[in-house]
Amino acid sequence: MELIVRGLTKSFGRRLVLDSLDLDFGTGVTGLLGRNGAGKTTLLRTLATTLAPDGGQVRALGLDPADRAQRTELRRRLGYLPQNPGFYPHFTVFELVEYVAILKELTDRRDRHREVRRVLAEVDLADRARTKVRKLSGGMRQRLALAQSLLGDPDLLILDEPTVGLDPEQRMRFRALISRLGENRTVLLSTHQTEDVAALCERVVVMKGGRSVFEGTPGELAGAARGQVWLSDRAPDAARLFWRTADGRYRALGDRPPGGVPAEPGVEDGYLLLLDEPVEVTA
Amino acid sequence: MNGQWHLPAELMEHYVTGHLEPAQVMSVESHLAGCARCRAAVPYSVEWLDTSWAGIEDVVDRPRPRPLARLLRRAGVPEHVAVFLAATPALARGWLVAIASTLAFAVGAGQLAARHPGLEPYAMLPFLAVAPVLPLAGVALAYGRHVDPVYELQAATPMAGVRSLLLRAVAVLTTAVVLTGLAAPLLPGPPGLAAAWLLPALALTVAMLALSTWVSPPISASVFGAGWVCAVVGGEQLAFSLEAQIGYALAALILIPLVYLRRARFDPGEPVWN
Repeated sequence: MELIVRGLTKSFGRRLVLDSLDLDFGTGVTGLLGRNGAGKTTLLRTLATTLAPDGGQVRALGLDPADRAQRTELRRRLGYLPQNPGFYPHFTVFELVEYVAILKELTDRRDRHREVRRVLAEVDLADRARTKVRKLSGGMRQRLALAQSLLGDPDLLILDEPTVGLDPEQRMRFRALISRLGENRTVLLSTHQTEDVAALCERVVVMKGGRSVFEGTPGELAGAARGQVWLSDRAPDAARLFWRTADGRYRALGDRPPGGVPAEPGVEDGYLLLLDEPVEVTA
Repeated sequence: MNGQWHLPAELMEHYVTGHLEPAQVMSVESHLAGCARCRAAVPYSVEWLDTSWAGIEDVVDRPRPRPLARLLRRAGVPEHVAVFLAATPALARGWLVAIASTLAFAVGAGQLAARHPGLEPYAMLPFLAVAPVLPLAGVALAYGRHVDPVYELQAATPMAGVRSLLLRAVAVLTTAVVLTGLAAPLLPGPPGLAAAWLLPALALTVAMLALSTWVSPPISASVFGAGWVCAVVGGEQLAFSLEAQIGYALAALILIPLVYLRRARFDPGEPVWN
């Protein structure tokens, strides 16, 4: 396994955010799902070595981040997109990525510039290289943040909500890029988009209250909802969760509503059922 | 152009080996531009071509370095370090203007006091009180979660922690010392006294870095900055006596090894593993 987490614990004040978490991640793309506050970002920050845990062990790419020298070596092989990547707004796109490239020890100017151009091309920002960051749209900033995470062709890629702000076309490009990168390295991403998980991830982990409540393939997550997904013509009252779909019918999760017929479950159905709290959603 | 004519082998060889006059080179290249057969006959190295294109691309696309980076390059700082330091928030134009304004105010206050009967003994106080605090504040604002917008990105790189902090701290300290040093000769007092801020500045900055291994740099700087101003205002010239200067030097000498020993605590990923 490329990434091993054992008994990882982290609290902020009295709030326990990671609760003795045990996880293993291998080569490929793994999606982290969970509500806000489930511990996804804290887990990713800890794995990215920007946050020290209170307890437990991590081994990433065979390295122990608790050891200073090994932590530095891990950072050399790590690409990280934080949930809220900051920017120097007065920098150009090229300057900002170049700055991070320097932080990643790309000291030779020519090699560094070549690498900056490469990652900007990967995220389709090459023609914006001279644009000031403050003039970029939200989606472009997100692509810029993604570009810096690709510097140095990292062995481990940690992406916290990477598809936020991307338009559909860019999301498709992102999926193609990440699925290609995931062929020979470990990619760990958190998202609220179950479609991204279904389309991109070989494995999914659902977090709740600082613990992992599901680990498996997206198909297995969808399969967990089999027999609990229904379509009915009337608003159900027995279902744990339901919503009105575009064709005017009701999609219900949980117990079979009157007149309900079984429906093919999706990743989202399995995810919502795992969260296990009755919510009524209508649209 | 005569489509039937092609470059003779001897001319081609001279061209490839660089033994033609410029006018002949232009003539040959003019022909090559329109003759696919001769272009295909020109031997070339793919590696050389890639390197050449990369070089051209680099020259064309290379961004103009920021003014501060250019200045640092002229001072002999390595190129990548100059680019890194030019991003330091505490070296931004606004910060430099703030330092210059503060110093101008302190010097102006000193000059006014020197001309006012009864206030002459206090003419140096505004400057001596302010001068050691400026590098302190600059270092506090050079690196950290609350002062650097890209801190979270930096924190996951090999340069995170003490390397970034100390590089920036030295740059900020140097800048503040140079600006303050330029202002010192404008003071009304004796030159020796005007230099009395240097050792306190060093001691306060080192002490602030040492405390920053427990609390955040802005908090640490606030503690020592406020303490210094209180000491100067309360103790008047005592803070600049010879004994005090020796004390500052000793404090710096003692605290530098402490900062070194605790340097890992500047790293956000430095764990407190159970």
